[in-house]
Amino acid sequence: MDEFNDNEIARLLRLKRYEQPPPGYFDNFLHEFHRRQRDELLRQPLWRICLERAHNFMLQLDVRSLASYPTAVAAMLVCAAILSLKVYQQPETARVASQSPLTLSVPVNGQQEWNLGSPVSTQIFRTQPLRSFRESAQTHRAAPPRYVLDSVPVSYEPTFRF
Amino acid sequence: MDHAIALPARRITDLLSSGLRARVKSKRQAMDQPRSDPDQELVTRTQAGEASAFDDLVVKYTPRLYGLVYNMTSNHEDTNDLLQDIFAKAYKAIRGFRGKSSFYTWIHSIAVNMTLNFLKKRGRRFQLSLDDVDASIQNDKEFMEATATSSPVREADLSELQRRLNEAMMKLSEDHRAVVTMFHIQGMPHAEISKILRVSEGTVRSRLFYANRQLQNYLDEFRKNPVS
Repeated sequence: MDEFNDNEIARLLRLKRYEQPPPGYFDNFLHEFHRRQRDELLRQPLWRICLERAHNFMLQLDVRSLASYPTAVAAMLVCAAILSLKVYQQPETARVASQSPLTLSVPVNGQQEWNLGSPVSTQIFRTQPLRSFRESAQTHRAAPPRYVLDSVPVSYEPTFRF
Repeated sequence: MDHAIALPARRITDLLSSGLRARVKSKRQAMDQPRSDPDQELVTRTQAGEASAFDDLVVKYTPRLYGLVYNMTSNHEDTNDLLQDIFAKAYKAIRGFRGKSSFYTWIHSIAVNMTLNFLKKRGRRFQLSLDDVDASIQNDKEFMEATATSSPVREADLSELQRRLNEAMMKLSEDHRAVVTMFHIQGMPHAEISKILRVSEGTVRSRLFYANRQLQNYLDEFRKNPVS
């Protein structure tokens, strides 16, 4: 018999079971495993530890479909979108300034530059009048806030003509 | 009368074939479901948060998984690192283990997949770092038969034989090496290997057949040049 047949191949390969690690290797393996686990835990950033804890918590609840990262990210985005919509939809209450404080207006020169030597004039103007909460809720979208300051104060008192 | 005789014969064959199909189906279902997992208690306790239960699983499976990984890598240092990573991954993933297969199959799947990924990344850059052969091999019946009958094996010393065998194994592809390790060295049946690798039993058998042919060719060189 000159060639290795299947039985001989199998017999030779089974002899590889006698290849063993150094003595004491298996006894020390568990200790080494614990040490590596501790080292890895200390190396991990805090956010990653929290993410893994949350992931394990979801698995404990047996919610396999929710334990996937893309689903969790999508859920977070949806929550953030809902919260942002609620925040933007709340009408803001405007405060009345019956008399606005004096402000400075600075004429713009041709070079679009301002310096301390530029002449300054003062004007009295008023900000947007106060509106009640309800009124602002009704007219909030109808009349968008105006940010242009009028030179002539706006009065809502009816003009009487005689 | 003939009609009365013909009908029962046909119906008998139908009944026999349907009965056989039902038995095959039930046998397959029985094979798919683990009857009683001996590790179920330790797994349950680990999932409940008892780390010492997982320590018991580590102690139990380390020797077996070491043999699996070592014979696929032929490198003691790589085996040690891989084994640490395998158990670390198993510990992280065990809460998701639902018991559809036995723990034995599950952890072997993790070990094989991680080792295959490691080997594919390593590519052809490998270095043998072999463990010593235990002295008790001298008393092994198969070893004595091999040295008594096969001239190349008889003439080569043990370290040379070990080196040749490992080099021949490393010449196989990773997938073929995996089935050779599990079948010939670890002694797993084809059904278990197919569950671990998630391939059919036919695929396991064909890979084994091809690997044996390859090993014959590689070891034939050993026969021609027994002492290097």
